[in-house]
Amino acid sequence: MDLTTILFLVLAFLIITFSAAVVILPNPIYAALSLAVTMISLGFMYFLLQAYFIAGVQLIVYAGAVMVLFVMVLMLFDLRKEIAAFSGSKFSSLLKILCGLFFTGAIIIAIRQGVIALSVSAGEPTPAEQIEMVKNLALRLFTQYVLAFEALGVLLLVVAVGVVAVARSRGGTHAHHN
Amino acid sequence: MPTITNTAAVTVTIVTLNHYLALSGVVFAIGMIGVLLRRNAIVMLMGIELMLNAVNLAMVAFAHYRQDASGNILAFFVMTVAAAEAGVGLALAVNIFKRFKEVNIKYFEHLKG
Repeated sequence: MDLTTILFLVLAFLIITFSAAVVILPNPIYAALSLAVTMISLGFMYFLLQAYFIAGVQLIVYAGAVMVLFVMVLMLFDLRKEIAAFSGSKFSSLLKILCGLFFTGAIIIAIRQGVIALSVSAGEPTPAEQIEMVKNLALRLFTQYVLAFEALGVLLLVVAVGVVAVARSRGGTHAHHN
Repeated sequence: MPTITNTAAVTVTIVTLNHYLALSGVVFAIGMIGVLLRRNAIVMLMGIELMLNAVNLAMVAFAHYRQDASGNILAFFVMTVAAAEAGVGLALAVNIFKRFKEVNIKYFEHLKG
């Protein structure tokens, strides 16, 4: 086995284990930390796929910003007395898990049936080629996809205003809620 | 895993696109089960993040194996939208918690007005 295969297997194991932990662990804080490990492993997998810019963005935006947001909101709440983490009866839970397993099986059968014969050009890119790849990404982002990029900017502005409107407390931050 | 034997008669395992796609499908299903199974709104949001990440992995894998940067750009867009979505979802969770002292999903129907 070469290094890429070993790295893929280790990262796949980490991703599946910790994403299952997100779903299974009853304590939301542990779920959030497992999600952080999943995000970081996914970031390394993007490195493996030679998507260096996306890997960096994954580590900064997901493992950094989004996870801090999640953990901060969880710390804000007092979630100790939450006992019923899972919903419904045992039967409906079983049904949901079976749905998930069926879905996975369907996807994997579809992948195996499909003829996706794609070969990848050999070898690791040199640092110069890596810079060229990021440059190519930026060029396409600001030419071919510039409209989507601008729409994304508008979306972020709307979301920023909307979040403040939804989450604000009447009477400022020191208001007492009964 | 498909194995090929090279000239030195050593068995070499190659990671193909299918492995990445299968991993992506598994992670997506785990995220889906999380959204269906849990009642904590924040953990449900985490399940949605898992699903979005699974799709991102599939797109980056396609971009790599097709030598086409469009998949990477799409993954970048998905990440931005996911961050925005997490922000809105957590704001709603804060709002729920302020009224009901719990972030159970069953209280979402009382949020109107």
